Amino acid sequence: MRLLLSLCLLLVMLFASMLIGSGNVPFVDALAALGNQGSETARFVVWELRFSRTLMALVVGVCLAVAGALMQTLTKNPLAEPGLMGVSAGSAFAIGLAILFGAGAADLSVWPAQIGALVGCLLVIWISQTQNLANDPVRLVLTGATLSALLLSSTAIILMLDDRVADEIRFWIMGSVAGRNVNTLYHVMPSLVIAGLIVAVFIRPLASIGLGETVAVGLGHNPNKIRMVIIIAVALLVGAATAVAGPLIFVGLVVPFTARAIAGTDIRRYLWQCLLLGPCLLVFADIICRVIVPPSELPVGVLTTLIGAPVLLFLVHTKRIPRL
Amino acid sequence: MKFSLYLSRVIGFIFHTVLLAVSLGFVSPLWAENRLVQTQYGQIDVPEGIKRVVTLHEGALDAAVALGIEPLGAIATRGGKGVATYLADSVPEITIVGTAREINIEAILALRPDLILASPTMQKRQYNLLSKLAPTIVPAVKLLSKDAWKNNSRVYAQALGKSVELEKILINLDQRITSTKNQLGQEGLTATLVRWTPQGPLLMSPDINSAQILAQVGFQLKGKEAIKAGRPHSDPLSQENLNLINAQWLFLSSVNQDGNKALQTAKLSPAFTRLEAVKNNRVIVVDGQLWTSSSGPLSAKAILDDLQQQVLSTQKPN
Amino acid sequence: MNVLSEIKKSENKTVSRQSRFRTSVFQNMPVIGLMLLLLLVACSALMLGTVSLSLEQLQSILLGEGDPLLQFMVVEIRLPRVLSAIVTGAGFALAGLLMQILARNRLATPSIIGIDSASTTFVVIGLTAGWAIAPHWLALLGAFVTASLILVVARGTGTQGHRFIITGLGIGAIASAMTQLVLSRTNIDFVNQAFAWTVGSLNTPSVEALKIASVGILISFIITLFFRRTLQIMQFSDARAIVLGCSIDKMRLFCLVLSVVTTALAVSVVGPVGFISLLGPEVARRLLGQHKIPLLATCLVGSIFMILADLIGRTAFAPLELPVGMVTAIVGSPYLLWLLTRQPKGSI
Repeated sequence: MRLLLSLCLLLVMLFASMLIGSGNVPFVDALAALGNQGSETARFVVWELRFSRTLMALVVGVCLAVAGALMQTLTKNPLAEPGLMGVSAGSAFAIGLAILFGAGAADLSVWPAQIGALVGCLLVIWISQTQNLANDPVRLVLTGATLSALLLSSTAIILMLDDRVADEIRFWIMGSVAGRNVNTLYHVMPSLVIAGLIVAVFIRPLASIGLGETVAVGLGHNPNKIRMVIIIAVALLVGAATAVAGPLIFVGLVVPFTARAIAGTDIRRYLWQCLLLGPCLLVFADIICRVIVPPSELPVGVLTTLIGAPVLLFLVHTKRIPRL
Repeated sequence: MKFSLYLSRVIGFIFHTVLLAVSLGFVSPLWAENRLVQTQYGQIDVPEGIKRVVTLHEGALDAAVALGIEPLGAIATRGGKGVATYLADSVPEITIVGTAREINIEAILALRPDLILASPTMQKRQYNLLSKLAPTIVPAVKLLSKDAWKNNSRVYAQALGKSVELEKILINLDQRITSTKNQLGQEGLTATLVRWTPQGPLLMSPDINSAQILAQVGFQLKGKEAIKAGRPHSDPLSQENLNLINAQWLFLSSVNQDGNKALQTAKLSPAFTRLEAVKNNRVIVVDGQLWTSSSGPLSAKAILDDLQQQVLSTQKPN
Repeated sequence: MNVLSEIKKSENKTVSRQSRFRTSVFQNMPVIGLMLLLLLVACSALMLGTVSLSLEQLQSILLGEGDPLLQFMVVEIRLPRVLSAIVTGAGFALAGLLMQILARNRLATPSIIGIDSASTTFVVIGLTAGWAIAPHWLALLGAFVTASLILVVARGTGTQGHRFIITGLGIGAIASAMTQLVLSRTNIDFVNQAFAWTVGSLNTPSVEALKIASVGILISFIITLFFRRTLQIMQFSDARAIVLGCSIDKMRLFCLVLSVVTTALAVSVVGPVGFISLLGPEVARRLLGQHKIPLLATCLVGSIFMILADLIGRTAFAPLELPVGMVTAIVGSPYLLWLLTRQPKGSI
């Protein structure tokens, strides 16, 4: 029932995303264009421009929400979020390097982002493993935040040294689905498929880890193996999302949090909600970005931060986090 | 020898009397050869025999080079590591003393300048320091006003004691503009000047130097309504609003020199290929350093060269 | 206060006068060493740069002789930079120390809880909107608004300061997003103007702001010095501190205000160079031991780091300058990471 409601919400968002934009295509024209009628311009705007960015927002939303849910279950920490943990920053740094060495932002291959995300992910996990930080939510978050700061200031230095890079990356680093080449989606498809398969196969063992390692071992799972595989899935998902839309923080925090509030704390249940609510949030943020400052647009990353950070504050304020 | 000195003094006296009479009617910077330069921060007395000039504005470097002076130092052009390419050959030994963002005062000092030509946007705080090093000229010209580059160049030329030479250059340029206009032969061709960035095109203001020249040779520049007052360009436009840059001619640049790459990037966007100028093959790729950040007589000349080479050659086959 | 005198008395009983003198010299060795180091670093910062000077040249310039141009360079360009670095470095470090004490957490420093990035946001917004308020007042305003916001949301500082820190992190994120937003919507020339404020730079610091900051930071240093023993008690658990007669809540609020003001004063001169507020107290503690509050040493270390970072920034990529804030971020964050991973559990 709740799933159905979320699905309806998502459908409404998708429709709205096709109908609302910064251009001067009236609502009625856009509606007609959806039915493949109406003026040529309206059809172009709706099917070429809005459709592709809606699709991208959809994919990115799914990726980040699922990655957040996986990471939080893995670390048993509601604050563990790819954006806050430096995974996205790793991705961004790798892309900054790639652009510095001559790649263009528009036709960028997805590999730097993927590799950067994997390295960022491994760094965070390695750090949390070395001192068993996983059990210490605050330290884990701070470690991630510091890692992010380090990577972002390194990226900033690259930007300083080369104006061209700065120009290419300035918007990208804030996160956006506007004007991105829709082909990027095809390039990240393999990653998404692999990650999807991993999640499908390993969701039960992961849920058992969520109950405690002894439970997992008792059920015949190997926690270390599961951890490794899930980390790879997270890296694939975040890398894909970052390659498409740039580093977006807080999506992976807000969505799983809401999903848990709706569907309970078992990942096998709330992951479905994440799948629907992630795109909802991103598509919604993207719509707002389009209409707020015509004829220009805001980068969607600014919006997700402005939506997400208050949720973090709320979490802290209501003392939902243990040991705080 | 003595006589000629005497003669020159007499002529000088007459000249000054005339000047005084004229300046009662209006004050013209052209004739004020006494090297008292009116700047944003007051009147500056520039001594004779200037040899070591440092320019902290791309337009100042351009004007100085145009007047036959080789400055010792300059700031890097936006998006580059050295001075703009169209000037690089004229000043092979120039020292870079920072960027528009951060000026390295020590590097300027190391050059021991006797005149500093600064940007009209220089802050008072920096001016205070620099003016202790050498007379520092900060023109009181608003950057996006009409003929801003000419008026700026006039101030710099005055400081360099070369006002007469500059006026000659400007007259030549005006003639060149008229002849280009005649060669183009058509009034009211619409055009837009755009800098392509990955986040979307920036529509350049019709008030920037290159756009003013475009207007003078007969192009009608569109899209001013998308630009906030006092800004050199619009915010990055949404893909849905590319019709704002739709015109018969499209001048396309990027922040760096490689305009062709900008064109390739732009062509990846489906909205771009729908533009009239793109369909009719009327996209002129231009050097961003030259078209969107430089100013001055040499820059104007180079822009006119670009127009002549590219626009006229594109026009012929049709 | 009589608790304090009792502590003093007990010290007097156990330690003879002569050996006390010896230990005090021994204990102060690091501080004296730091002072000498500061002098050394400051002198080299005056000497090194695009134009490097020899020691004799520096000497003659400081005596008012020699080439007027070089004199200008040292007195008008390098000296303000070095002075600003000393003042702001000490200020940031002091602010960090105070906040660490009040939140009882070594990671709780103004930069981590987003005070300096919020100051920057206010300055950038003010500059864009063309408010007729000097940037340093905007920085102060921003710091205060943020600190109050964090206090309200986190409901006080908490026993270990964790809630306080995470709240600050969130508010810092909002502040950075706002700064980015404002900057992405202004023209490039303005971005250039505001650049120094967004990363932290010592390139031509405002002399007026420096004067205000020097006086302000000196005052807060003296105040801290005055309350040093109370602060030392605050490091213990709440219960113990209350037993020792210390009004914890008032003292905490007082520390917070002092720390925020000091941060804002430092930000008003250089912009956000927050990592100093972490590095200063950390290194000072490492030198002097954990048991006492290394007030003077913290400030000295902060100043030294600031001068060094600026020196690196202006010489490494000469003639281009790397802003001091970037240098400290690159050096500071690996250290913080190391601190987070290597320190035993419960110490942070």
